[in-house]
Amino acid sequence: MSATTESPSPRLLGASPRRKRVNRMMELLSSLAAGLAVAVLVIVVGSVLIKGVSALNLSFLTETPAPFGVAGGGIANSIVGTFLLVVIASAIAVPVGLLIGIHASEFARPRTSNAVKFALDILSGVPTIVTGIFIFGLLVAGHQQSGYDGSVALAIIMLPIVARSAQEVLQLVPNSLREAAVALGIARWRMVLRVVLPTAAGGLITGAVLGVARVAGETAPLLLTSSIASNAVSWNPGQALSSIPVTIFTLSESANPADHARGWAAALVLIVGVLALSVFARSLHERSRRRLRG
Amino acid sequence: MQETRSNYRETLKALERQTLEALDMVVQALDRALEAISYQDVELAGMVVADDDRIDGRYLEVHQGILSLLALQTPVAIDLRIVAALLHVIRHAERMGDQCVNIAKLIPLSGYEAPKDKDLLDAIERMGQLARSQVSQAKQAFAERNSDLAYDLLRQDTEINQLNVAIFNRALAIGDDIETREWAMHMILVARCLERIGDNAVDIGEQTAFVVTGLFREFADASHPG
Amino acid sequence: MIQPRLSLKRNREMSSTDPPTEQEQGPQAPEPRAEESSGSGAANGAGRAKKSAGHQVSITDLHAYYGATEAVKGIGIEFPPNEVTAIIGPSGCGKSTMVRCINRMHEEIPGARAEGRVLLDDQDLYAPEIDVTAVRRLIGMVFQKPNPFPTMSIFDNVASGLRLTGNRGENLRERVHKSLRAVGLWGEVKNRLESPGIGLSGGQQQRLCIARTIAVEPEVILMDEPCSALDPIATLKVEELIDELKEQYTIVIVTHNMQQAARVADSTVFMLDGQVVEHAPTSELFTMPKDERTERYVTGKFG
Repeated sequence: MSATTESPSPRLLGASPRRKRVNRMMELLSSLAAGLAVAVLVIVVGSVLIKGVSALNLSFLTETPAPFGVAGGGIANSIVGTFLLVVIASAIAVPVGLLIGIHASEFARPRTSNAVKFALDILSGVPTIVTGIFIFGLLVAGHQQSGYDGSVALAIIMLPIVARSAQEVLQLVPNSLREAAVALGIARWRMVLRVVLPTAAGGLITGAVLGVARVAGETAPLLLTSSIASNAVSWNPGQALSSIPVTIFTLSESANPADHARGWAAALVLIVGVLALSVFARSLHERSRRRLRG
Repeated sequence: MQETRSNYRETLKALERQTLEALDMVVQALDRALEAISYQDVELAGMVVADDDRIDGRYLEVHQGILSLLALQTPVAIDLRIVAALLHVIRHAERMGDQCVNIAKLIPLSGYEAPKDKDLLDAIERMGQLARSQVSQAKQAFAERNSDLAYDLLRQDTEINQLNVAIFNRALAIGDDIETREWAMHMILVARCLERIGDNAVDIGEQTAFVVTGLFREFADASHPG
Repeated sequence: MIQPRLSLKRNREMSSTDPPTEQEQGPQAPEPRAEESSGSGAANGAGRAKKSAGHQVSITDLHAYYGATEAVKGIGIEFPPNEVTAIIGPSGCGKSTMVRCINRMHEEIPGARAEGRVLLDDQDLYAPEIDVTAVRRLIGMVFQKPNPFPTMSIFDNVASGLRLTGNRGENLRERVHKSLRAVGLWGEVKNRLESPGIGLSGGQQQRLCIARTIAVEPEVILMDEPCSALDPIATLKVEELIDELKEQYTIVIVTHNMQQAARVADSTVFMLDGQVVEHAPTSELFTMPKDERTERYVTGKFG
């Protein structure tokens, strides 16, 4: 194809130099912002990693804390405690949250479901310390602390996350599927159970996992409901359970610098756990999105 | 706002115009053929034969145009009836053109002298006028979608048929002169061509009624009593 | 096969809201109720056989509303048994709304309601004691965009209508295979019945949806622009299928494609502005329409 020596017509020349400059500047700014966000993540994780890795070893994960003044020990009790607290909180919040989401999306009238969305948004904005105080006043005052109290507080924090995400994922399921099922003479509840839920399953699980990842690191409510715990590994939620976030807090207040290092290590364990859960949630989300689009 | 499918409507109108123009060509050919008969004008007769190519060409044009329209535009309802009718009408026009040629071809054969029998010639001329008026009227009826006018074509047809019989009888009784008898025979053939032209015109009338009502009915006439 | 017609009547003990119980389906003892309007057939004992003749739908004075707006303004149509009736008309004329009133899908829309009589043979589908889900088992629907269930295999998709409406066991596999054969998909999918339904092409998906619809053995099939989303070859295959299906079902097809109505339908209804303008045998409607509005629509003077 022969090239002409004339310059192309003005129509084809496109943006003025000034517009090009503005374009480039906007691109630069947004890249900087993105870079900043990534940088912050890297810095946070990096410093936790650097400061905590020294104290991180197998015994750290499997031993209980050493008595005061003695070196060594680990956070096994906190790991078990966090696990229990999260499992019980999930057992409460996930089913209830799913049901709320299902109701708001499938059975409620549009006005009701908007009201539910609004209420959930407000609930998720309640500061966790307030939730903690509420549970403290309701369940702990006059009694002992217990793992159950902590779990309930965590469940309240988890609930709007699970419910809201469930509602949104369900509303993403195309209405054409519901129509097809209804047109076959399938009853509504059956349609929701056997057509809508399976289609949204990936997204629903994602929502639940995100909720878990969020509450695994909550500190404030646990301070008030399940913080005074023994150093031994306990599988009994009837008593206060120790947890990783509270342990990090306690260790950071200690006068002993060795404790500080252990605090960093505990933080590292927590971050790794939460990151792993988040990555898992994202991969589930991708899978379910691909399915819906098909 | 422009009407939808304007391209299609234009094409349909053009096809109808072309078809009806063919009927104009037929009228012209008929006029010339009749004049040639009256004055034994062999040259004029030759023109009629040559010009028939135009009518044949018009037939092919319209035929092709209709095929195109059917394939590309899928006309329905009244448009479809018009298109179907146009196919018939253009065919009838072509046949009428051929009949004019047949008339013209008879002229040289009947000798270079003036025609022999005034009564017979008058009858032929009268028939010719009737046929001509039928063709004109058929064209008008179709263009106006006027089924009453179309039905009226039967009136002229009846008279044409009577004249046809009269001419035949006159020819039988024309006398002994060989040349006169020969000429009279040819005139019988001319009359037959004119009668055929009349029938084609009536058929065009039937097509007009079909377009208007959607039903095809043969008009009752002498050959289809009741 | 025993016709579950009488299960249209809702079980008296149940409340008027969902869920209907499993005992809806299947050969239950039909209680001869005194107030039944359906006439002679109902009072026979269990074992009333399926009519070998087809099933007719008659609409009388149907009005349909979206809130305060009236979309269908008093319509009466008869859909002859075992024939294909097409509904044509410009956008917004109410044809989809009207068809959705037949299987009572219209009322699923919030704020929408319908009044009038829709008779399936001799039974008024809008009678108060009628169970809506049973209506939809007898009147199937195929939609414009193919909508197979994404989490189900081809087999499960076709079986879903049977499984999820309480039809247990009885030769499920046989019925699924029969449906797939009926829609001409069998050859193409018989070796991959367990693969996902959404893995098929658009035309195949639509035929899958049709198989799913006929697997429950309805009496009437409604189709709302079933070929709009398909390419021309797939469209022709579906049209051929419709021609075969009418031997067993009464079919109503809404289409905005007049040529399709011309190819496929025995009779055609032209609707305008919520009302029926003309209803005639298809070849008549397209060669000699009686109403001037029909004439103008089919020749493309407006649309």
